Amino acid sequence: MQDIRTPEQEAAEDIFFGQLVIIWARWAVIAVGIMLVAWAASDLGTLTLNIVLVVALMVMNFFLHGAYTLEKPQNRGVVTVVSLLDLAVVTLIVAFWPGKQGFASPFFILYYPFILAFSLVFPRRVAALYTLAAIAAYVAVSTLAPGFDLSAEHVKTLLMRAITLAATGGLATYYWRIQRDRRRAALGVSPTRATAPKTKLSPAQS
Amino acid sequence: MSDPQASEDLALGQYVVVTARWILVAAGLVLSLWVTTDPGSQRTLQQVQISFVVLTLLAFGNFYLNLQLLRKRPALDVVAYGASAADLIVITVLIAAQGGLTSNVYIFYFPALLAISVAFSRSSTVVYTAFAILAYASTVSAGIASTFDSQTVVTRLVMFAAVAFCGHMYFAIEHDRRRDAARAREQTTAALGQR
Repeated sequence: MQDIRTPEQEAAEDIFFGQLVIIWARWAVIAVGIMLVAWAASDLGTLTLNIVLVVALMVMNFFLHGAYTLEKPQNRGVVTVVSLLDLAVVTLIVAFWPGKQGFASPFFILYYPFILAFSLVFPRRVAALYTLAAIAAYVAVSTLAPGFDLSAEHVKTLLMRAITLAATGGLATYYWRIQRDRRRAALGVSPTRATAPKTKLSPAQS
Repeated sequence: MSDPQASEDLALGQYVVVTARWILVAAGLVLSLWVTTDPGSQRTLQQVQISFVVLTLLAFGNFYLNLQLLRKRPALDVVAYGASAADLIVITVLIAAQGGLTSNVYIFYFPALLAISVAFSRSSTVVYTAFAILAYASTVSAGIASTFDSQTVVTRLVMFAAVAFCGHMYFAIEHDRRRDAARAREQTTAALGQR
């Protein structure tokens, strides 16, 4: 059977249905933000500034989640811009959050759910660019901030983090392709030639 | 597991699980052999030995599972479940061998939990994620020395849960989309048959 949808329509459907995953990834990071703001405050000025930042993120995500619930999800452009904003927020946290900054900051792990969610929703090339942008931002903020040197230990640790960030994006994209082929198979449309041999089940299973 | 849909989910999810495990093995071996601190000490030698043995065992297990996938004969469900449990145990052993809280190996939980969340059922994903969280928390708890350390550990635990939750949410969304697609196909076929 021939699929009557264009690849663009299929990608738009992916974003329509999948953006809930991105919204929930953001809620997880907001939850961590609330915890850190409440727990780590050392003075009123910092506390106020951090509360304003977290509340701004919450308001934005309430709006996005509410719109999704009302079956008015955002289009590709809005989701992309907001997702890039997520990366910027995490990069700022890594660079400036009180305690340890740059390479020593433990908060780079906030990148993982965002990379995962984005790569599960967007096509391969866009997801790869987003993952690369996250890695580039993290490497830049780690290497430019004080505390990083080119010692073997620091380079090894940074490389390990970059590998797992890339692996998260790559695995999510791989799964996205498997699911796209399964959906096409359910519709009776031939899967893509590139992925068909790798993800096809044996006749006994299917 | 008797549900054919769940078995198919598991079978196709195994491609992601096996790939994630190869990443763990390859990156783990390279990074274990790349010794950067105290190369002459007995402790470092033991760490490298433990890492090598554990990762090699994992590689053999994954080679078997990969062969099954190449033959289009995904392994038995129980083997797949056991192998994923072994992934989490291996990561925890490596963290413990490298000093607990100071170890950077915990980031390998992310690809492992991602793979589990898109391959297994909801209840299994919850069990595996809870296991990873408890295993990590108990491994590093002795090393917590400050409020900042506590915040760091809690942030990591929340992110483990977040990755598993997001992965499984996508799994559920795609499950529903596929079901709707199959229904639409049936309706179209039925309508064409009535003409």
